[in-house]
Amino acid sequence: MNTKELVAAALEVRQPWQVTQIRHDLGPDQIDVWIGKEAARTGWLFGSRSSPGKPDERSWRHVNLGRLRCVIHGSPMLDGEGPVWLGDDEQPFTRLLSRRVAGLMHDGIGFGTICDLLDLPVAELWKFKHRLDNGKAVLATPQASRNEPLPALPAADDPLWESLLDGSIGIEMHALGLKLLLTKLREQWAVIGDPEVRALKVQELRRYFIRHEKSLARELAQLRLRATASEERP
Amino acid sequence: MNRQQTLMPLPLAADMIAAGQVLCIAGDEAALRQLPRGQWIGGTIPYFMTREGGQVSREQVFVTPITGFAEPPRLRFRDRAALPGVCRDAPESGYSIVIIPAFSDCHVEFAQHAPDYEEMYLKPLVGWIAGVHLDDLAQAKPRVVLGPTGEFADDCAVVMDVPLPPDRFAQIDIVNLFHPGHGPAIVFPASGFTVGACTLDGEPGNLAEYLTHAGIDTRLPLVADYCGALINVSIKAVDPASGRVELYAPVFPGLEYRIAAPVEDYVASFHQALPGQAPDIAFSCNCILNYLHSGLDGKRTGDLVGPFTFGEIGYQLLNQTLVYLTVS
Repeated sequence: MNTKELVAAALEVRQPWQVTQIRHDLGPDQIDVWIGKEAARTGWLFGSRSSPGKPDERSWRHVNLGRLRCVIHGSPMLDGEGPVWLGDDEQPFTRLLSRRVAGLMHDGIGFGTICDLLDLPVAELWKFKHRLDNGKAVLATPQASRNEPLPALPAADDPLWESLLDGSIGIEMHALGLKLLLTKLREQWAVIGDPEVRALKVQELRRYFIRHEKSLARELAQLRLRATASEERP
Repeated sequence: MNRQQTLMPLPLAADMIAAGQVLCIAGDEAALRQLPRGQWIGGTIPYFMTREGGQVSREQVFVTPITGFAEPPRLRFRDRAALPGVCRDAPESGYSIVIIPAFSDCHVEFAQHAPDYEEMYLKPLVGWIAGVHLDDLAQAKPRVVLGPTGEFADDCAVVMDVPLPPDRFAQIDIVNLFHPGHGPAIVFPASGFTVGACTLDGEPGNLAEYLTHAGIDTRLPLVADYCGALINVSIKAVDPASGRVELYAPVFPGLEYRIAAPVEDYVASFHQALPGQAPDIAFSCNCILNYLHSGLDGKRTGDLVGPFTFGEIGYQLLNQTLVYLTVS
């Protein structure tokens, strides 16, 4: 496996896409990767290749490759679909990095922490948020929309979740995955004292409900009932 | 129920492969080696539960067709280092089937650490542990097969990721005939396949001593209650001299286990425990210990068919349990 193939594998670049060029000298601790669609060969000697420097070429910051900041160069897809390592026109980040940033924001993680976690300059993060706030960027992909919280699911700060995790309340469960997950989380909850780590465990459990909405009608109904009852309690 | 899931002669299985069908195949190694390359994964085992009853066959293979996918399933090996990513890399909508060779590093890795894998329990993961004919235990190795290349491996798991259309979802269920008995609550200080020291109703003790002195039938598993899901750990061997008990799956600290209550009539209990309405079963397997201890040779176990395996996977490793996957 040569370097291009190795980087393509690391980025999960698959045919018809290919890594066409890699540079390691455009910034400290930075790797620049050009990705293009594999063009049909016109002949064994003069097979065409996608080349860097095309007029519609854009660059986006991607998730790091190890300790290297990764910058992807390529052409944005116009139809809104495309691989996660591509970005949209005028976006600073690739779709994968955009989703990660949005996921952390959704979880209430502060900007400074997000920058530390993802090794991002604050200016780039602000640019991203500004575009989000002004409706100039869209995160909605099938994956992202699936992860939107259900309107009727108790909020993450609803004490119901803590009660479910510390075992002081229970619900009748049918899904094997939920039973096993809740058992694991309850064991962890018992030894976790840090409120931020506990908040992550609540999110983990909520995420299961959000993800399996279609198969958890009975469980969700019980949660909603309990949440409503606690709201009505004086 | 998946009516196409059945034990069949090799030429028929070969025809299905040649027709481009996506298949999960269980069979004796010699039989699997005669199958052509194609879109299938497999594992070695010659014991099967069929609609006619429990059977042993070295000549036929048990074929589970995989249908209804949104995109062609992805088939690949995963070695021990790659196994923890099995759920993370699984389709967002769909399920994964994994087969792991018994006694391999992957088997140990999965048994001990699967509950902590990234995305575990969020994406349906089902499968089984490949084995061998019990007469061949001393000389044969359980293996898995990657159909597209025809490669056999005894040190890798083989995985099939099956993406489903967004309007369909997969669900894993189990049938476990065992319930906790009335013996002491057993808690272990650490996880492991080999145990000794434990507490018995809160008092320090030793499991090997307890099993021996109480005259426990070791065909009965340890049972733990996971928020209503009864999960077994089967006993492999007891050595009173060393005070050690070998298990077919690891126990975990913090969980309370009890020796299962005896099951009087396995076949009758099994029929009672089966889901009332025949669901749309995409995959199922049962435990070889149920086949051996319950005398299932030639006895029907309803419409839930599949290989009798050296361990079942319903998210994590299970023992003495029937596992099935439905797609709604």
